[in-house]
Amino acid sequence: MADLTYEDLVSILVEKFAVQPELIRPGITFGDLEIDSLFLVELLLVVEREVQAAIPDDAISAQDTLERAVDIVREQVTAAGTR
Amino acid sequence: MTRSAVLAGIGSFLPSRRVTNEHLTARLDTSDEWIRTRTGIRQRYFAEPGTTTSDLAAEAGARAMKSAGLAEVDAVVLATTTPDRPCPATAPTVAAKLGLVGCPAFDVQAVCTGFVYALATACGLLAAGGADTVLVIGAEMFSTILNPADRTTSVIFGDGAGAMVVRAARAADGGAIGPFDLGSDGTGADLITVRAGGAEQRRGRSAPTAGDEYFSMAGREVFRQAVEHMAASARAVLSRAGWQAGDIDWLACHQANLRILVRLADVLGIPEARVLANIAAVGNTSAASIPLVLDQAHQAGRFQAGDRLLLSAFGGGLTWGSTVLTWPDLTRP
Repeated sequence: MADLTYEDLVSILVEKFAVQPELIRPGITFGDLEIDSLFLVELLLVVEREVQAAIPDDAISAQDTLERAVDIVREQVTAAGTR
Repeated sequence: MTRSAVLAGIGSFLPSRRVTNEHLTARLDTSDEWIRTRTGIRQRYFAEPGTTTSDLAAEAGARAMKSAGLAEVDAVVLATTTPDRPCPATAPTVAAKLGLVGCPAFDVQAVCTGFVYALATACGLLAAGGADTVLVIGAEMFSTILNPADRTTSVIFGDGAGAMVVRAARAADGGAIGPFDLGSDGTGADLITVRAGGAEQRRGRSAPTAGDEYFSMAGREVFRQAVEHMAASARAVLSRAGWQAGDIDWLACHQANLRILVRLADVLGIPEARVLANIAAVGNTSAASIPLVLDQAHQAGRFQAGDRLLLSAFGGGLTWGSTVLTWPDLTRP
């Protein structure tokens, strides 16, 4: 298992989801980046490969900020590690 | 001597009415950009009134038989989610339209995995000695089951048909098909479904809810399951074949959604340039998608004899399946 940093999330959003870098900041929500629930599932599949841990589809919603998403992933990785 | 199955001919057919995203956005609350960014689809084809699934199937089948240089086959297996009627099966009608009265013909229903299931069934018929040549068709008219008010499914699916002729041969012959990996999970039956029209609803305790006669799909859950099951199934079949992902010249998977194809290729470690995709031009044609994308690539001259292909599909059931094949020396029309 590995960690996901804010910078990792930003590079995934830019490289795989064609999000414009100038829009990205820690406090912006996925919804504001026009990342809807279907894109979030895809994003989670990419993140799961990065961190080598399973993350439920409902763990992150379009209302969550990028900062919050990094925390959620960290919690999931920690939980997976202690299971 | 063990009989194995080889690809002997391929063909496909699309109905004439081309429907662009703009045609659909006029009546649905969506946009061309919304459809393209989420699905990769720009247009699809819908059959004209008066056309049936058996018409599309027979045309694709005739083209595959011509490609194989055959005027008849020993059996017809049709994969479809949209049969001409709930009863009987559509394959005998297709066979009759091809002048094949008397030959065994039956349908296989595994929704978008249907073609891989039908191909496995055909290979089984060859191996058992029940036939020397089998016409395997995937044909769909999803335009007949789409809910016009559901913008998520209405923009994804299209009509079409694709077919292969497979024949019994020595294992060393070019065009060898298999091994296969097939699977299902009926606990996910509600994720991709037409709820009404079957025994469950006809003998159910309550009247059907409006919209139950139409196709519905839980997009988010299906996205994840499609990637995970196709990846696991593809790995299983590669392992059985003794191939590595790096050996694959072409990944030909069910054209569900361009983003699913890209994600699957990434998970399997297959470069995007090796992924066959025609979803932008034809949409998701369910059981027809794999033979359709293969035939279009063949006609475009993309394959060389000996190319190694990995086929993988996922669909309602839930069902999934994969196989490998070595492209034969087929002449182009």
